Amino acid sequence: MTDIAADAISAAPAAKAERTTVLSVRQLTWRKFLRNKLAVVGLIILVIMYLSALLAGFIAPYGDRETHGQFARQAPHGLNFFDETGAFHPVPFVYGLKRTLDPKTFQQVTTIVPEQKYPLQLFVKGQPYSILGLIKSDIRLFGVEAPGKLFIFGTDTKGRDVFSRILYGAQVSLTVGLVGVALSLLIGVSMGLITGYFGGWFDNVVQRVIEMTMAFPQIPLWLALAALIPPTWSSAQVYFAISIVLSVLTWGSLARQVRAMVLSLKTSDFVRAAKYSNASTARVMVKHLLPSTMSHVLVIATLTIPSMILGETALSFLGLGIKPPMTSWGLLLNEAQSVQVIIELPWLLIPAIFVVLTIISFNFVGDGMRDAADPFSR
Amino acid sequence: MPIYIAKRLLIMVPTLLMIMVVGFIIMKLPASDFVSQYVLRQAAQGNTGIVAQQDMLREQFGLNRPLYEQFFTWVVNFFRGDLGISFSDLRPVSTIIMERLPATLVVSAMAFIVSWGIGIPLGVYSATHQYSPGDIGLTAFAFIGIGLPDFLLALIFLVFAFLATGDVLLGLNSMQYVNQPFSLAKALDFLSHAWLSVTAVAFTGTAFIMRVTRNNMLEELGKPYVMTLRAKGLPEKVVIWKHVFRNALHPLVTLFGQVLSFLINGFAITSIVLNLPTIQTTYLQATIQQDMYLAGAILVLIAVTVMVGNLISDVMLAWLDPRVRYD
Repeated sequence: MTDIAADAISAAPAAKAERTTVLSVRQLTWRKFLRNKLAVVGLIILVIMYLSALLAGFIAPYGDRETHGQFARQAPHGLNFFDETGAFHPVPFVYGLKRTLDPKTFQQVTTIVPEQKYPLQLFVKGQPYSILGLIKSDIRLFGVEAPGKLFIFGTDTKGRDVFSRILYGAQVSLTVGLVGVALSLLIGVSMGLITGYFGGWFDNVVQRVIEMTMAFPQIPLWLALAALIPPTWSSAQVYFAISIVLSVLTWGSLARQVRAMVLSLKTSDFVRAAKYSNASTARVMVKHLLPSTMSHVLVIATLTIPSMILGETALSFLGLGIKPPMTSWGLLLNEAQSVQVIIELPWLLIPAIFVVLTIISFNFVGDGMRDAADPFSR
Repeated sequence: MPIYIAKRLLIMVPTLLMIMVVGFIIMKLPASDFVSQYVLRQAAQGNTGIVAQQDMLREQFGLNRPLYEQFFTWVVNFFRGDLGISFSDLRPVSTIIMERLPATLVVSAMAFIVSWGIGIPLGVYSATHQYSPGDIGLTAFAFIGIGLPDFLLALIFLVFAFLATGDVLLGLNSMQYVNQPFSLAKALDFLSHAWLSVTAVAFTGTAFIMRVTRNNMLEELGKPYVMTLRAKGLPEKVVIWKHVFRNALHPLVTLFGQVLSFLINGFAITSIVLNLPTIQTTYLQATIQQDMYLAGAILVLIAVTVMVGNLISDVMLAWLDPRVRYD
């Protein structure tokens, strides 16, 4: 932050003259971010998404592996405020469901039973769950009384509640990109710092390696690497393997940009001053150079997450990514792979809406951060 | 300039070698190989005699030789133009690639033309009509295009096409035209299938190029020279197309290489979902079956395409913009 802080000192008197308040760089950045309405909306959506992923067990009416065998392939069966006579119910309710066999076609037909009404209840007992393995409970945010079923987004071919599974899937889909980005940040930033600061043969070798990673189009290499994951691995191992696969190609461009910044910064006055005051090389790199590159790096990282989320979705969609019993949005979409299924069970495509929403939000937030990263421009 | 191009081409050789090393390692990392997979599949079908033949098969494919020997044979033959044979259908890799290449090139070229042809004008419109309802609509469209995975879009198009016509437009030709020689009817049939995947991939591409064009245009429009031009009383059309647009084009040219890899990525999963006979589908199958020479050759081909694309975009930029220095 040293160079930005230096700018802040020169900018502060001007701000003082105008408003008689002095804002820190952080406050200025935050104000600038707030001015971008789309970015704020994106941030709010992301916060809600990550919170609900964290609290998936509490918010979802059913567990992710809880099957309702007799109600497989059930269309969305939502909440009603008005009953069949048109009377208004202040507490929404769901109709009871009945499965019968059509005597002519021998197909399972679900009919709504208007006489049975199950009002929505808060804090009902459901399957036990745990949040982060810390809080264990069986109280779920909402649900209906036992024989009634609440399938907001319908059920899949095995009779699992799609809404609940989207929430559980978010735990994987939303975090695999974060872990991937964290990994590529770690490798990219340290490589960028080292190669930029020391140069020499190591820099040359790393640059050639980066050139090579850049010559690979992401998806074919992801496919090849994902196909490498042994089928015997557990879900957790596969999860980390996928996030490693996703970060293999992205660290390079990050390292390049950090390197370029370090190259221009290492001759600047504040770095020289640090060196003259006997700071160790490690201290110069970590305390002085690293923070100066951070704002830029965070913007790139935010803009990389969406492509990683898309990558996980694509890999799982093809059956090369996350595997059951773990679930992710890509894996949920994997069930909707044929025209026939989509026509019969169109609600299986609902997870796609969440994918789109997440990616757009990340793009908005990234754009907002890019503008805010330089709080002194216009 | 020629020296620069020659230098870049020369650097490509070691990069290519490294790509081949990495590709080879990827194929060799799993404990199983093509033969063991093949034997498992055959045994599952009741062909138990195959187990006895597996050493012979390995011998025949050269899979029992030391790794470095396999690698060097592959690389040396590769640069001599012999890409090896495909284990799974025993034909030369080059034949299989040549079979798949035309369709791949045609659909990619179509998607490329559509995304640039539509993306650029829309981007210019969006920038010149900033915050108008048209711009807001296009921006929304662009964000959906960037957010929605193209394979899902292809799937949704497929469903709508099915509902509208009753045909499932999988592949690139109807059954009766597959393996037929080229004819006008076949070309038309090809178009009736190809529009689907091309539109799906081009949708994302258009959105991407539109956003970049819009940003570049807006940046250029804010520069003082635009005010000078307008103050001179030049017609707006001339200001936009002759001056601003030309300057906004430079960053787009640098995207050329990126767009190539973008198309390869886009068609990778779309063509698997839609069962298109493109090189990407072959690549995935070959990778999963560890048909290593086929997968390796396609990986190298793809990497070369991207590298050449990057080179072309750098050369084009240097040619377009005399301020760019290359050394």
